[in-house]
Amino acid sequence: MSTAMNFGTKTFRQRPPDKGAFPLDHFGECKSFKETYMRCLRDNHFDSSHCRVETKEYLECRMDRQLMAKEPFEKLGFKDLMEESDEENKAKL
Amino acid sequence: MCTYPHHLSQVKHTSLVGHFTYNSRIMLLPFLLRGCTAKHYVQQALSSTRLCINCCNIRGLATSSGQLFLRRTPQGFLNQSRGAKTHKRKHQNQEDDWKKRNKTVLTYIAAAGVGMIGLSYAAVPVYRLYCQASGLGGTAVAGHNTDQVETMKPVRDRIIKVTFNADTHASMQWNFRPQQSEIYLVPGETALAFYKARNPTDKPVIGISTYNVVPFEAGQYFNKIQCFCFEEQRLNPHEEVDMPVFFYIDPEFDDDPRMARVDTIILSYTFFEAKEGQQLPIPGYS
Repeated sequence: MSTAMNFGTKTFRQRPPDKGAFPLDHFGECKSFKETYMRCLRDNHFDSSHCRVETKEYLECRMDRQLMAKEPFEKLGFKDLMEESDEENKAKL
Repeated sequence: MCTYPHHLSQVKHTSLVGHFTYNSRIMLLPFLLRGCTAKHYVQQALSSTRLCINCCNIRGLATSSGQLFLRRTPQGFLNQSRGAKTHKRKHQNQEDDWKKRNKTVLTYIAAAGVGMIGLSYAAVPVYRLYCQASGLGGTAVAGHNTDQVETMKPVRDRIIKVTFNADTHASMQWNFRPQQSEIYLVPGETALAFYKARNPTDKPVIGISTYNVVPFEAGQYFNKIQCFCFEEQRLNPHEEVDMPVFFYIDPEFDDDPRMARVDTIILSYTFFEAKEGQQLPIPGYS
């Protein structure tokens, strides 16, 4: 569709991903985390806002197994989750 | 300087020759010749006197006798040769005029040609700038800020449904499908989606994928943090993998009046088979 070179037709401009491509999980190391996430989605009628903790955990699994570049979670849009966990830790202490 | 007498002599010679050849068979040839030369001598004398008077006139020394003399001379005597000379002069002037006009016209045409060539070279960056300014053809209006992931706030009152679609090229033998049919999210919040791919063949297959977002204008707000597209992915025989897509929708999506009625975004991936060493160019203007 995006190769239709007609004058005036709206075309879709593709953009590469910001942080590149995920390496493939050939050995299924993070499969359990994925299953947890999918179960959460199905339970919440596919509402992504309720499954953010599971998303963060899956990304953490990937980072631990060298399947994703390590990055602070604030940069991945989990600032609110990090703040919550910080508050919880402070409350415990 | 008056240089007419020189021309006169030339005219006299040519007309003499003309007459000579024309009357070669006539008995009265010598008489006619004498008559012609006499006529021409008279004409020459008259013209040279006229010229001298003209030269004198130019110098402002016109004499009344000279004018009288001119007036007495019958016009018929002088008409023939004088007409030919002035006609030739006029013709010369006209030719000069035409030449000058032709030159200016040619210069204008050459300038226009060079201008056109320059315009065609300049058109490429100018068109690019215009597309960026007007957002024509779905071009991103401005380069999107990758640091905004940190600072963006989710827009809670706008829920968008993202539907997933998976395709393969006809010659691609993978089984490629999404693991969820849709996800509901809000702009400004990151989300994760999964696709599954399986290689049912007995040979390793390298695939490379591309994506598409419908509606096209919403595509500029659809930002992928990380996915599996545009890079070769190799699947061993009978191997199955999960392919995640980590993305978000720009919070400015809510501010765009063109997106006011957009509630569904369709994300579609297509897998192609990649040959050894083939590289997909990274999309977008360089």
